[in-house]
Amino acid sequence: MMASPISCSSRHSPDELPGDPSSQEDEDCDYEDRVSYSGSYSSASSDYDEVEPEWLDSVQKNGELFYLELSEDEEESLLPETPTVNHVRFSENEIIIEEDDYKEGKKYEPKLKRFTKILKTKSLLPKRYNKKNRNDNELVSILKHQSNQKTGVVVQQRYKDVNVYVNPKKLTVTKAKEQLKLLEVLVGIIHQSKWSWKKSGKQGSGERLVVHGLLPGGSAMKSGQILIGDVLLAVNDVDVTSENIERVLSCIPGPMQQEILYHCPVSDASQKLKSVRGIFLTLCDMLENVTGTQVTSSSLLLNGKQIHVAYWKESDKLLLIGLPAEEVPLPQLRNMIGDVAQTLKFMYGSLDSAFCQVENVPRLDHFFSLFFQRALQPAKLHSSASPSARQYDASSAVLLDGLPGVRWLTLPQEIKMELDTALSDLEAADFAELSEDYYDMRRLYTILGSSLFYKGYLICSHLPKDDLIDIAVYCRHYGLLPLAAKQRIGQLVIWREVFPRHHLQPSADSNTEVFQEPEGRYFLLIVGLKYYMLCVLLEAGGCASKAVGNPGPDCIYVDQVKTTLQQLEGIDCHINERLTSSPSPCLSCADWFLTGSHEKLDNLTTSPILSRLPGTSKVATSPTCRRILFGDYSLKTRKPSPSRSSGGSDNGCEGGEGVGLSPHTIPNALWKQRESQGSDGSEESGALLKVTKKKATLPNPFHLGNLKKDLSEKELEIYNTMKLTSGPENTLFHYVALETVQGIFITPTHEEVAQLSGSIHPQLIKNFHQCCLSIRAVFQQTLVEEKKKALNRGDHSGSTNSISSLNPVKEYGVLFECSPEKWTDQRKAPPVMAYWVVGRLFLHPKLQELYVCFHDSVTEIAIEMAFKLFFGLTL
Amino acid sequence: MGEEGTKGTVHLLCLAASSGVPLFCRSSRGGAPARQQLPFSVIGSLNGVHMFGQNLEVQLSSARTEDTTVVWKSFHDSITLIVLSSEEGTSELRLERLLQMVFGAMVLLVGLEELTNIRNVERLKKELRASYRLIDSFLGDSELIGDLTQCVDCVVPPEGTLLQEALSGFAEAAATAFGSLVVSGRVVAATESWWRLGTPEAVLLPWLVGSLPPQAARDYPVYLPHGSPTVPHRLLTLTLLPGLELCLLCGPRPPLSQLDPQLLDRWWQPVLDPLRACVPLGPRALPAGFPLHMDILGLLLLHLELKRCLFTVEPSADQEPGSPEEKVEDAAQRSQVPRACYLVSGPEGPGTGWRLVALQSGPRRLLLLSAQSPTHALRGLATHTLHALTPLL
Repeated sequence: MMASPISCSSRHSPDELPGDPSSQEDEDCDYEDRVSYSGSYSSASSDYDEVEPEWLDSVQKNGELFYLELSEDEEESLLPETPTVNHVRFSENEIIIEEDDYKEGKKYEPKLKRFTKILKTKSLLPKRYNKKNRNDNELVSILKHQSNQKTGVVVQQRYKDVNVYVNPKKLTVTKAKEQLKLLEVLVGIIHQSKWSWKKSGKQGSGERLVVHGLLPGGSAMKSGQILIGDVLLAVNDVDVTSENIERVLSCIPGPMQQEILYHCPVSDASQKLKSVRGIFLTLCDMLENVTGTQVTSSSLLLNGKQIHVAYWKESDKLLLIGLPAEEVPLPQLRNMIGDVAQTLKFMYGSLDSAFCQVENVPRLDHFFSLFFQRALQPAKLHSSASPSARQYDASSAVLLDGLPGVRWLTLPQEIKMELDTALSDLEAADFAELSEDYYDMRRLYTILGSSLFYKGYLICSHLPKDDLIDIAVYCRHYGLLPLAAKQRIGQLVIWREVFPRHHLQPSADSNTEVFQEPEGRYFLLIVGLKYYMLCVLLEAGGCASKAVGNPGPDCIYVDQVKTTLQQLEGIDCHINERLTSSPSPCLSCADWFLTGSHEKLDNLTTSPILSRLPGTSKVATSPTCRRILFGDYSLKTRKPSPSRSSGGSDNGCEGGEGVGLSPHTIPNALWKQRESQGSDGSEESGALLKVTKKKATLPNPFHLGNLKKDLSEKELEIYNTMKLTSGPENTLFHYVALETVQGIFITPTHEEVAQLSGSIHPQLIKNFHQCCLSIRAVFQQTLVEEKKKALNRGDHSGSTNSISSLNPVKEYGVLFECSPEKWTDQRKAPPVMAYWVVGRLFLHPKLQELYVCFHDSVTEIAIEMAFKLFFGLTL
Repeated sequence: MGEEGTKGTVHLLCLAASSGVPLFCRSSRGGAPARQQLPFSVIGSLNGVHMFGQNLEVQLSSARTEDTTVVWKSFHDSITLIVLSSEEGTSELRLERLLQMVFGAMVLLVGLEELTNIRNVERLKKELRASYRLIDSFLGDSELIGDLTQCVDCVVPPEGTLLQEALSGFAEAAATAFGSLVVSGRVVAATESWWRLGTPEAVLLPWLVGSLPPQAARDYPVYLPHGSPTVPHRLLTLTLLPGLELCLLCGPRPPLSQLDPQLLDRWWQPVLDPLRACVPLGPRALPAGFPLHMDILGLLLLHLELKRCLFTVEPSADQEPGSPEEKVEDAAQRSQVPRACYLVSGPEGPGTGWRLVALQSGPRRLLLLSAQSPTHALRGLATHTLHALTPLL
């Protein structure tokens, strides 16, 4: 599969009226052929006689369900314009035609028209689209394209859209024999025109192609969707009759492009990449032979634009994704292809089954149209929120979308407990119809765990990390998390079979004592209600009964999850409170440090240390030296503030390398509390400062102990106002803290960032995330090498001598200078503000990554900041 | 090949773009030239993919595997250079610059005309042999860093003005404006015109002198890749002291014989002591007794306007700071300008690992490698050092 830098263009049928609402509906739901579903509404309660849930009709025949009802305000707001929520498929407009529609007649005409319209929108012939009606509504439509060797043959029966594998190569084999009919040879449909002729009488321009028989082993039979009695209406969007069918089929391109399984989207650039696929295949083969390692990426120039192509090899298949370097830097692209592979495996089990099954093509089209939008127009995806939030989302997506974690919102203990209890109750599945006693039979599913999101933030999770991340990546891909950020969900129900790697990996340990995963099947149920979204992972087999066929969502489970969400509705005000006044560290706005508005900092900011290097020593430098650790270049501080000299000097420095300081550590909890208290400037902190001042290097632990007692009742308040940076000013601009073991990260909420506004600040945030992406790429390299080292150690111990190597990199900081973009004052030079972006990787005791951005005036020690941030950060 | 033994290997391939005929292949392994070469079929495929793309107007520029980077570059539609490197921490930027330097070296020794208009491949192959030494020195571990920084490697002599005067006087007497003193590939002093030489010849000429086997005097034809790629000039070198060479760049005149011992004696005998002091300078780059903090293991100072650099890994050569340069450059953005940067690496635990700090101030950029300093003291150390070094470069 290859993708081009050109974003997906939309597919409106040429003859479709742009404003036609009905065509809109068609488009919304045409990406999968859907068949009315009624059978697998099987649950423990066959006698379930309440009103059928509204989503029931939307279940597809493979059991999958993606049902979304927007909230009322949301729908209203969407009315005047076409919906921009591309990832939402409306489900109410089924194109299901009942049995009795299957006859000719006038009543049938409009439907037929509509059907051809659908077919046209789904056309497989790329050229036409590019010429016509490339319109601006690219978000709505779903791309559909199929590589040429597989030609979709559309067969009508209840207006089915069937994809059939057609290989013109067969012709060369059979040509020697008599002139066979292409319809039989290629498609495997037997149509006897004579017989049909007699029966249905003469028709003007050829007769309808009724399927009279299926060739055993033919493509049509294999598809399982073409039945005798069906009528073939169109092939590749071309209406066919008995007259033109042979000609149409003979035009199907030859097997020269056989090696491409899937290709998306259709654009000039993508065609170009497709034409040079030999490069990718050769590189993949050759470099693996030469170097013994797999190709990860290559870069090329196409029409003067640099394009990175990422590789993902699995068994004998190769997945390629190409995106313009300008928009997607290489480290991001690498993360993206990893995510794509992970998501597809989660959804389909393997890349093989995702790409090699013809019926998946429309789903993949949808999948990749979303993918390209996320990659190239991230701002559009977050159309809901305010401009500032949108900007924040767009600039942070570069980094955050690639993190192996879920955005976490820390909540106060009571609320967290309430959530935990609610989820545990659900997971126990021990009530009414869910309990095994109720019907005295095995339950259908075991609930493996669940995780709860609020406005896109994870607030509670009872899932293993791998499952959590699998689910989060899936949600991220389908845009579910931003969906709930504003109240957009009236009701959301998603059901599908999934393949979580955590449960499906064969256990490395053959020891029978160790828990063995049952050979079960797994299902993901996501229910959304207002701001909440609850993802539940279910297991069939094992303790529960085995799943048969493609079970659809079970009403009882859906209802139970919904009930859980309804129970939680009461506490959302508390959670909202948290969002606006987050317990995480306070932030400052970059703009405050830039102009005279923050007088105190004037001196520091207008003359950054680096620009006046020559002959600097007299000028007061930034108060970095307050830590005294600057030993050899002890430029005097301007006016060391009391809190600094005390608060700063006793901070334990990294591994005791401090110059002129005997480092020590303070018990974690106390340290943190003291720090936060210090920022309050309250009486206690004053007292504390005195204490530490007296004993400049060794604060009395007992004093702190007493202090702690006093503070304990105030814990909540302290929690509220945590200051991450040291020094009297809060110099923290932004942060991202990733806890890899639990799979969560924290970063300022939209609300917090929105409170800051400013003109420089958004730029800074953007730059921060981009810089972090580069830093993280270095860390990822470090991790790869660490892993290698660990392996080597296992093989032949003692052979590791990486002393001469500069790896692994564990901390990386960059100092930036910025000034306002529009500076009109000619006489004065624009003010300059300097800030650090620092990334820190922690390998021990557990894998953590921290990225912080702070003003240059205070030297921060990343380890300390990390310590404060990660403290108490648990699921 | 494959499983083992590709670690730290660099392969450089040079092919005639039109015919695909390999002109030469050089390899190095673990920093030393190696004989091990890529199989011909691999060379063919590496060139093939690039050519194939070019025919379809798709320019393949690089590819990466988990441990190897490949960079393609074609020059004047006539020469294709391919480098394949599995050295740890190799960046694309480094390899691209390497290819530029290699092509520069080829032009320097055989002229652009020969390379863009290949009439006789076999003859060109022979002629290119002359450049192997120079090219191998780029591939292997070198004490010089000019190939990466694209700045001239310099050393700071203790009595620079004396040497400068002697050099100017001598160059005038020899009727050329281009003269320099080179100690093991680094420039000690040079005339103003010499400093005005463009890249890459400014970097290549001292490098070339350093890579040639020692000889008392040379008269070496060179093309200047930037200044005079088709008309050769003469590079005259005279060994003043072992390891210390006097270089002159001139046209047809004067003949080497005119630079007789008398002339040399007249200009250089008086400054013999300062000259002697320069000889051991090579790897240290800074004059003895220059106050550097104990913590500094390695140092790279770039002057981006003058295009000169000081580079040293003085106490022990095995702790070479790799090539941190590109890491400073990759974060650049217009309204948000990076000014400094640091890196902490190595095993965790107190007192171990390395710290790398970069600092930009005006045209100067300093990189320091330090072992002991705590992270927060790095910037102070760098600022202080840069301040101390400023008068030197």
